[in-house]
Amino acid sequence: MSVEEKIRGFVLENYLFTDDQSALENNDSFLEKGIVDSTGILEIIAFIEEECGITVEDDEMVPENLDSVTNIVAFVGKKTS
Amino acid sequence: MTMQSNIVKKIYSSANEYPDKTALVDGDRVLTYRELAQQINAAASYLINNGVVKSDRVSIILENSVEYVIAYYAILAAGGVVVALNTQAKAEDLQNWIVHSGSKLIFLNSMNRESGDLLNRISDNYNIVEVSSCRVVDNSHSIVSWNDILHEKVTDDNHAVVVSNEDLASIIYTSGTTGKPKGVMLSHGNLDANFTSIIDYLSLTSQDSIVNVLPFYYSYGNSILHTHLFAGASVVLENSFMYPKKTLEKLVEHKVTGFSGVPSTFGILLNRTKLEEYDLSSLRYITQAGGPMPVANIERIRAVLPETELIIMYGQTEATARLSYLPSSALEQKMGSVGIPIPGVKFEIRDDDGNKVSDGVVGEVYASGKNIMCGYWRADDITNLTIINGWLKTGDLGRIDEQGYLFLTGRKSDMIKVGGHRISPVEIEEKIIELDGVEEVVAVGNDDDLLGQVIHVYVVHSNSNDINERDVRAHCSQHMASYKVPKTVRFVDKLPRTASGKIQRYLLKKI
Repeated sequence: MSVEEKIRGFVLENYLFTDDQSALENNDSFLEKGIVDSTGILEIIAFIEEECGITVEDDEMVPENLDSVTNIVAFVGKKTS
Repeated sequence: MTMQSNIVKKIYSSANEYPDKTALVDGDRVLTYRELAQQINAAASYLINNGVVKSDRVSIILENSVEYVIAYYAILAAGGVVVALNTQAKAEDLQNWIVHSGSKLIFLNSMNRESGDLLNRISDNYNIVEVSSCRVVDNSHSIVSWNDILHEKVTDDNHAVVVSNEDLASIIYTSGTTGKPKGVMLSHGNLDANFTSIIDYLSLTSQDSIVNVLPFYYSYGNSILHTHLFAGASVVLENSFMYPKKTLEKLVEHKVTGFSGVPSTFGILLNRTKLEEYDLSSLRYITQAGGPMPVANIERIRAVLPETELIIMYGQTEATARLSYLPSSALEQKMGSVGIPIPGVKFEIRDDDGNKVSDGVVGEVYASGKNIMCGYWRADDITNLTIINGWLKTGDLGRIDEQGYLFLTGRKSDMIKVGGHRISPVEIEEKIIELDGVEEVVAVGNDDDLLGQVIHVYVVHSNSNDINERDVRAHCSQHMASYKVPKTVRFVDKLPRTASGKIQRYLLKKI
């Protein structure tokens, strides 16, 4: 399963409670769309750390890295390259 | 005694004294006290010209913003009663509160995801003020834009309709249920008493400034907003705490003197930022309320910010906001305490029969003072169970030591506290029982390191249908604010009951 599929699956299951893929666009801002809150973003970080084998440093906890599926995929790609 | 005590006059005083000082910073927008007072006046003129009179309720469904603050004070200036609603709530809850409060007019932002659904639900009798530039498409309601009301001709230099101390200023909906909303009624006198005490014990002055991350529609955030503006201080708005690094950067950028949070705010700061690497030397004080903070986190904050006063506090919406505070100087000696009553407040610990108990004995915390609410709006039955001869029955259990410091030991009610949110388990249960396939359901709050508590529900299947955890959580998410969605759903064969049939919630907490 690709990183994108994993992230989408996690967000759809845990915050949108559906497997309807159309419920989440990859560029949807988690903050602006109210998809996750401040504790939800910690859960997403824990998920990608576990699933992708990376560590999200405190300084990396910024919207540019984490605020959408697209941003996370790019961030994980950068970390693992 | 009736006297001219409209609380909005405190803002006009700040504007007279500090006209060019920054009152609010909202992103790129900076508002001086003069500008704030002018815009409050314009908005108040609009309300008055459009029929808002003393004691009329007006709802605000806005995130923390310049518009929220102006709308709030304009309503007070017009003699109205502010009904500031939770912006995380779903349209059905918003509708319920608007109808229950009898609001005449609504300030809303069509960028809120629920606005469209809300407008479809409510009748066209409501006047709507829309604050976003993306105007909602709706032909059935009378909708006025924010810009229009700010251009309203001002007929009075300082609108402040005459009210008495006893007149209502605000209704705050708290942890009720759909059928029984709990609207805490706060008078101008309540607000004045509580905010004056807070300004006193925090020693707030016009030299102070704060980055605020707490929602204004809750009593904690509400008290921060008003105390700072009454003192002539500056409030920097920060609506999201999702990226704590951004919040810390604002603290540094604005060299603020204060910061306030709930336990999870500090848990996140301590665990997900390099707090020690930021120059927070301007920070004079930190306040924490909204539930007990782990002692380890208190000690870590003290270690990272040794020069900053850390003030632990306790309060309830029913007490306007604040009941007690633990002075920073007593923190080590009285670790675990929520402190002494704030000026004007008294505590008593009482047994189940309502009799006062001795120092050191655990019982229910009762509080009295001019900050105690007038009651619950249109709910005399719950008011009579909560206000006993002028004393607020808090539902919290605790003891007072020989020096008068209060230590909380638990809650008498089953109320669940998630982060800063207080939630009635009955509300969750009422929603889940609607689902086909659910025979019985119980919601409980289980301990959580970050949030204090999280919601767990236990469901007994009916024979007729089969549902899974996602079905239950999805249903909750569809109908309730996200913080009310259970963290886990467990299916059980039966619920533990006493011989008389009462569900033993405490046993479920241990599963």
